[in-house]
Amino acid sequence: MENKLEIIREGIMDGDMHLVQTNVQEALDEGVSASEILNEGLIKAMGEVGRLFEEGEYFVPEMLIAARAMKAGLAILKPKLVDADIKPIGKVAAGTVKGDLHDIGKNLVCMMLEGAGFEILDLGTDVSPDQFVDSVKNQGVGVICMSALLTTTMPNMKNTVDALQEAGVRDSVKVLIGGAPVTQAYADEIGADGYAPDASRAATLAKQLLV
Amino acid sequence: MSETGMGLSGKQLVLSTLRHEKTERIPWIPFAGVHAGKLTAYSARDVLTDGKKLLASLLAVNRTYGADGQPVMFDLQIEAEILGCDLLWTDKGPPTVASHPLASEVEIPQYLPDAGDGRLPMVLDVMRSMKTQVGETTALYGLVTGIFTLASHLRGTEIFMDMFDRPDYLAKLLAYSRDVVKRVSSLYIEAGMDVIAVVDPLVSQISPRHFTKLLSAGYTDVFTFIRDQGAFSSFFVCGDATKNIDVMCQTGPDSISIDENIDLAGAKQITDRYNITLGGNIPLTTHMLLGSQQDNMKFVVDLLDKVDQHNFILAPGCDMPYDVPVENVVGVVQAVRDPEGTRAMLQNYQGASFDLDAVQLPDYATLDKPLVEVFTLDSDTCAACSYMRDAAIRATQEVGDQQVELVEYKFTERENVARMMKMGVKNLPSIYINGELRYSSLIPSNRELVDEIQKRLQE
Repeated sequence: MENKLEIIREGIMDGDMHLVQTNVQEALDEGVSASEILNEGLIKAMGEVGRLFEEGEYFVPEMLIAARAMKAGLAILKPKLVDADIKPIGKVAAGTVKGDLHDIGKNLVCMMLEGAGFEILDLGTDVSPDQFVDSVKNQGVGVICMSALLTTTMPNMKNTVDALQEAGVRDSVKVLIGGAPVTQAYADEIGADGYAPDASRAATLAKQLLV
Repeated sequence: MSETGMGLSGKQLVLSTLRHEKTERIPWIPFAGVHAGKLTAYSARDVLTDGKKLLASLLAVNRTYGADGQPVMFDLQIEAEILGCDLLWTDKGPPTVASHPLASEVEIPQYLPDAGDGRLPMVLDVMRSMKTQVGETTALYGLVTGIFTLASHLRGTEIFMDMFDRPDYLAKLLAYSRDVVKRVSSLYIEAGMDVIAVVDPLVSQISPRHFTKLLSAGYTDVFTFIRDQGAFSSFFVCGDATKNIDVMCQTGPDSISIDENIDLAGAKQITDRYNITLGGNIPLTTHMLLGSQQDNMKFVVDLLDKVDQHNFILAPGCDMPYDVPVENVVGVVQAVRDPEGTRAMLQNYQGASFDLDAVQLPDYATLDKPLVEVFTLDSDTCAACSYMRDAAIRATQEVGDQQVELVEYKFTERENVARMMKMGVKNLPSIYINGELRYSSLIPSNRELVDEIQKRLQE
């Protein structure tokens, strides 16, 4: 069994989607529980991918392909997880702010969060403050992750925090921000709950904030 | 503007540095793309689409920021637009690519841009005008979208998956992209550009292994091509490309330019090994956009302390945000032109405790005649400061020397620093009339300033 999980982990780190699919299915067939495959296989592997990214060993392509392999495995596990009533650790809405179409960073954050056990509501790019507010009010989101690549769109992070405040839901959600021009100082200034310099640390931070 | 005070024009200084010669001072290249419009009150879209407005704004940059070299057009979407990408425009930033023509079609385009395509006629026209007007003294940079970034504009983020799923297709797409880079470079060189900067921000997102496999040959070809055409080359990257600096050097550009995500001193050790000039890396957001004038001056003098000044060009990390306060760039110019004087100024400002009670300010309410006070960093070394001072001299002369009083206070004198603190002067250069701030950093027109003084005469 441990061998199977190790193959799954290695498969994810190599971005080998088919290897992961085959071995997730075989592990289930051998009686390994879906939650164990999720935690000891998928989530552990993505944690390792994140670590290698932080250390500068992995780059965006390696991370994307690992995440794709992870998602292929997760797709097989999902029905079993539902059957076993295994809940995600939280629900996150992620989006690139209004006026900004850059989505590589946001996509990586979604993948790392999914790989860390969160349920993801991907709002896409050019997301208005109202859309973020709606995700909290009507879709049970506990964490908002906002991305911006431009100094000109960065102010829409503040506009979103203000909109959450005005809508009376600021206290029921954690707000994380990131993107090339964004800094911890900016997060402090606009009243966000956290800033992450990369996707891996966004996932770690989201977990910490929900504890 | 480009006066070095030491014989070499700004252009000669830049070109000497790109030839890796030792120079008496460091060249400075303000990357004012959309920010150029701030100096002339035009929007980003104005300067990126209207040749007249772009030219006026570039000349304002050249004058106000004492540019030794400057880019003519900083927009990495020029080629993408021609090749079928839709753009999303904003008032304060360059456009963003909103659609990728090859997103769902695995094809290799054949068409190479022509001088009559898209915005190229306007860009080439402004390049020729800049060459005529400031080309003798300023090194002009033509910016071309880099191989990988251009390919990603065409293909979208699927390009990262292609690295694993369709390596043969990707190789062909990158070869096409390389040909576009060469074509556009040759158009810009014909229009008089001294330096072709190939800008490839996405290089920071891939490993050295992928760079070597996918881009090394293409870039080596591009830089050889630019050299053969008689121009210099620069390889611009944005983001944390620390691990790729070495392999970038191996492609043989004359220079590399980096942003604040890379430790400049560390990168310079690598570029020095290859005898390649390094440019950078004043932080765009924390310092240029959000910092104070002093923060920017301090960053530059600290940077100069840290790096070997041979083979070095001072520049912002990348295209300056539109709203960078003009005084922050003026501070940078002061620091690079006169590092010693700037260190003394910063010490004055930070270290000393002033007895502000001892500073006697005029009784502005009961002045006999209008009082124009010009506060400058040092009008002998700071171009914007000398323009501000000259504007005040010209206007007061027109109104009549007897009718109005004019005083200049330089930040180089301790007692002036105390006066500025007492008056609450935040940015230099600035003009106060009768004790009130009227102009900060942006030089008023003669008419505007004369009217302003005459208004006071009538009060």
